[in-house]
Amino acid sequence: MSQEHIDRLIESDYAAGFVSNIESDTLAPGLDEDVVRFISSKKNEPQWMLDWRLNAFRIWQEMEEPSWAHVHYPQINYQDISYYSAPKSIEDKPKSLDEVDPELIETYNKLGIPLHEQEMLAGVAVDAVFDSVSVATTFRSKLQDAGVIFCPISEAVHEYPDLVKKYLGSVVPQKDNYFSALNSAVFSDGSFVYIPKGVRCPMELSTYFRINESNTGQFERTLIVADEGSHVSYLEGCTAPMRDENQLHAAVVELVALDNANIKYSTVQNWYPGDAEGNGGIYNFVTKRGVAHTNARISWTQVETGSAITWKYPSCILKGDNSVGEFYSVALTNNFQQADTGTKMIHLGKNTRSTIISKGISAGKSSNAYRGLVRMNPGARSSRNYTQCDSLLIGDKCAAHTFPYIESKNPSAVVEHEATTSKVSDDQLYLCQQRGIDTEKAVSMIVNGFCKEVFKELPMEFAVEAGKLLEVSLEGSVG
Amino acid sequence: MLSIKNLHVNVDEKTILKGLDLDVKAGEVHAIMGPNGSGKSTLGHVLSGRDGYDIIDGDIQFQGKDLLELETEERAREGLFLAFQYPVEIPGVSNMEFLKASVDAVREHRAQAPCDAVSFMKQARAACKEVNLNQDFLKRGVNEGFSGGEKKRNEIMQMMLLEPTLAILDETDSGLDIDALQIVADGVNSLRSAQRGFIVVTHYQRLLNYIEPDFVHVLANGKIVKSGDKSLALELEAKGYAWLEEEVA
Amino acid sequence: MFDFTQAALAVERERDWLSPLRAQGKSVWQHYSLPTRKTENWKYTNLSFLQKQNYFARQISDAPLDPSLSALYQIPEFEVHRLVFVNGRYAEGLSSLSEDSALELSRFEDADDLQRKIIAGKLNTNIELKEFGFSALNTSQLSDGVFLRVKRNRKVDKPIQVVWLTTSESDNANVNSRLLMVLESGAEASLLEHYVSSSESHNVFTNAVTELFLGANAKLTHYRLHKEQESAVHIGAVFATLESAAHLNSFYLAFGSRLKRLDVHVEYEGEGAESHINGVYLPKNKQHVDIHSCIEHKVPHCRSNEVFRGIVADEARAVFNGRIHIHKDAQKTEAYLSNKNLLTSNKAEVDTKPELEIYADDVRCAHGATVAQLDPMSLHYLRTRGVSENEALVMLSFGFINELIAELKHEAISHYLRPAIAQLFSRDPALVRHLL
Repeated sequence: MSQEHIDRLIESDYAAGFVSNIESDTLAPGLDEDVVRFISSKKNEPQWMLDWRLNAFRIWQEMEEPSWAHVHYPQINYQDISYYSAPKSIEDKPKSLDEVDPELIETYNKLGIPLHEQEMLAGVAVDAVFDSVSVATTFRSKLQDAGVIFCPISEAVHEYPDLVKKYLGSVVPQKDNYFSALNSAVFSDGSFVYIPKGVRCPMELSTYFRINESNTGQFERTLIVADEGSHVSYLEGCTAPMRDENQLHAAVVELVALDNANIKYSTVQNWYPGDAEGNGGIYNFVTKRGVAHTNARISWTQVETGSAITWKYPSCILKGDNSVGEFYSVALTNNFQQADTGTKMIHLGKNTRSTIISKGISAGKSSNAYRGLVRMNPGARSSRNYTQCDSLLIGDKCAAHTFPYIESKNPSAVVEHEATTSKVSDDQLYLCQQRGIDTEKAVSMIVNGFCKEVFKELPMEFAVEAGKLLEVSLEGSVG
Repeated sequence: MLSIKNLHVNVDEKTILKGLDLDVKAGEVHAIMGPNGSGKSTLGHVLSGRDGYDIIDGDIQFQGKDLLELETEERAREGLFLAFQYPVEIPGVSNMEFLKASVDAVREHRAQAPCDAVSFMKQARAACKEVNLNQDFLKRGVNEGFSGGEKKRNEIMQMMLLEPTLAILDETDSGLDIDALQIVADGVNSLRSAQRGFIVVTHYQRLLNYIEPDFVHVLANGKIVKSGDKSLALELEAKGYAWLEEEVA
Repeated sequence: MFDFTQAALAVERERDWLSPLRAQGKSVWQHYSLPTRKTENWKYTNLSFLQKQNYFARQISDAPLDPSLSALYQIPEFEVHRLVFVNGRYAEGLSSLSEDSALELSRFEDADDLQRKIIAGKLNTNIELKEFGFSALNTSQLSDGVFLRVKRNRKVDKPIQVVWLTTSESDNANVNSRLLMVLESGAEASLLEHYVSSSESHNVFTNAVTELFLGANAKLTHYRLHKEQESAVHIGAVFATLESAAHLNSFYLAFGSRLKRLDVHVEYEGEGAESHINGVYLPKNKQHVDIHSCIEHKVPHCRSNEVFRGIVADEARAVFNGRIHIHKDAQKTEAYLSNKNLLTSNKAEVDTKPELEIYADDVRCAHGATVAQLDPMSLHYLRTRGVSENEALVMLSFGFINELIAELKHEAISHYLRPAIAQLFSRDPALVRHLL
């Protein structure tokens, strides 16, 4: 296939790249203690929450932005970013969906997220975060009957202070890294989930994030606590409008799986990747981590197709004996996108198990790196890890990297890592074409096949969405 | 020579053998047949002392000794040999080193002087020839890159060199073509003697055309549910296992 | 306060033809900050002890050469051209050289004008000194070294063995060594770099840099055997450059010592070249071995295959970092790397990182790494054949390494290494009898 054809195929459109014309209440750019106080007061936060934020802010000021990731971007001026933006209509706190700004509803409809309960995909409760605040949480009453708490974290600070105090920052401390410290200082909203002992959450929980305002950063904070023996499956989706400037997204997600609990966290990340020339796009610097106690299981599944830069390592601390950590990832980069993503599996307990399946697809002039750490601590007797990292290169201008760190201090632990790299072969395409399948479809089929192991971990309707998303992101891509 | 009484065995907390009784006397060949999942292979592993098989009840006497008290290698030195269904590949350890280490260990136990390298080489080459394995196999890693049939013949070769008192063949016929089957059977038949016992575990009657058993036992659901002479094997061949399972149920 | 960098810079040597090179080394070294835990390439190796020890203050006195030292490096049934250096100084009495018209051999000290020109023109040309600070240090301390040139389309009849021996005389001192080998196009040779020690514990800091230039179609079989004593500190590097269709076959053996760091750097400059880089590391007690390899595929149609295995015992630590870097133009590259480790103790540690960095799409690359203990099923299989558990453990450990030893091109070296390695796993003759 000619280079020209390849280039043409790689060009793609960003389907979610519209701007919503909504009046919003946006703080002027800049960051100091007053901004932190402002955000806190906007939320009517109690003193302890403000103190926690201020502490994080002070820590952040002492820290330096990390530079070890295999990504390159102009220095971010943290004073040029606005740290708070809320759709104006939120000021009046909509009591029900009917009061929500119709244009906001329309935004979600465009994204294909039906907010109205009657329009909902059966069994998915959605907490939608627009710019920095949570606008609506659906299905609350049904969840309440099961004892499940699913609400904006800003609300949880007031309603469930004990739970928030106990677990916020317990998995990702404020000082964990530069972006988590920043998030801890300025997070505006996010979701809070608590599943009581022994409860199997009656439906999939879901959050959609969207950055709308220009020059705003989004710093949401998610905390999920699954009490002993409980089960929950949580989905998040992300989009942002097309804008020429880069926007910062620095989220923190903390998962706590107490004894025998099971948390499944799935992400479909489709932040605006920038245009074909590499202008604009989201800087996605995210810290996600879970702690698994005895016999607990945490499973991360991610499909990452968006963002100009992705810096993200959803991790598991396998603290309890027999706990299980899983990481299934598809990361696709096209044009000038850069991704440095992977996971950390920290084995502390006995008989802990982890599985890492990572599929990286690079196209265009993009760069896609897997970075992972598997650590077997001295106590991780008879623990196991299996890692498989595969890279697929589409076109000769992209790059694919693999940086797996393996540290083992226990002789009875077994760690296995394998990585391969391949391209969509001419033979494969030729075969497809010979059977009457056009190139574009053939590439999409091959890429989907390449990702199959990860897609099967996604909830059904998301798997379909993820497949489509890849198709759109690759639109046209190879030859 | 071997007496198994009321053997109950758990694997992963699931009971696989549920009161198995079996007596093997010197000179006898016992065939154990049974459907898949009946516990046939478990018996071989329990006798060899593999980890992960919990004996929850029962008793095994081997030549007057409590077999369950002995370590795996002690059982081997006492003359118990297991031909594996899936012989293990050990790259880096040559077949020759492996055979010599094994024969030396058994000879030492029998208070025999270790074989000198030259005469052992001769023996090993002769054994290779008997099972129709190329002598190059002696230099290669244990079972490394061997075909299924070659691995099985290697097991028989080891048996010939070790001259066990009791040999257990765990589905040695599976995956063998007729020629290989003949070689395996010839190896076994050449070792048949009044001093030696055999337990031949198999799913199919076919092997028993070549190695004629004195007794045939049917293992189903963790127990021996029927015993007879070689005609029982033919009956199973004709009727399958289902009727027996029904009969027992 | 003592400063390692400054102490090295303070060493003064008489002016000679190597002075400009030393100045080049110094100029890089003086700006090089000693690696810390935050230096990615030294993440798992702590060098802080260097700041407590001045290796540069002592002049090593010439010790009388005991001919019995030859037992340390002589390999039975292996005829060689041999150069022996004791504590960095050439020991003519222990060396044995014979005429071979295919080979030009000279020490830096003896080099004639033409040789000096070649040496000065080649040294450091394939080393990014800023990145390899310790090679800059080596350059700044240059005195003697070995220069080998294999002539165009010629084959050296015997392997060349270069022995670097240290004795207790070198306690608390620095031994700096350098080897430059140039294989002209179509040339063929075997080189054995052999590091041995005569006493059980002397705190010597060896900095040994080797540069190998393989011309078009040249073939080199290269061994670097580290059988140094417990207290040795060795920071060394091998830089190889491969022109088109050159073929490099390297084998590294690292017995442990207090600190052993080896950087293995292979650059592909010409199409169709191939390398096989294998190695074994066997640290025990409190030893520390750190191997960093980097394969730079800069041109199309080349192949590399790298296999490293390690067995880490007691409180030892092994670090392995294997990087494969496929440049933009290196289409049709095939590159493979495998690193397998056995941990045999609760206090041992392995840190491994195989890395792929790929900028070309039509390539076939794979790497794998494992850390585990011996396969329980293999152990069981041996035991069902009457072999005791202890002997089975020794046989399996040895077997894990032996796959690489058995492949060595020179059988004499395999035979020489087998007992030495077997001894590491057990000193009980009953347990190693089937390996010898």
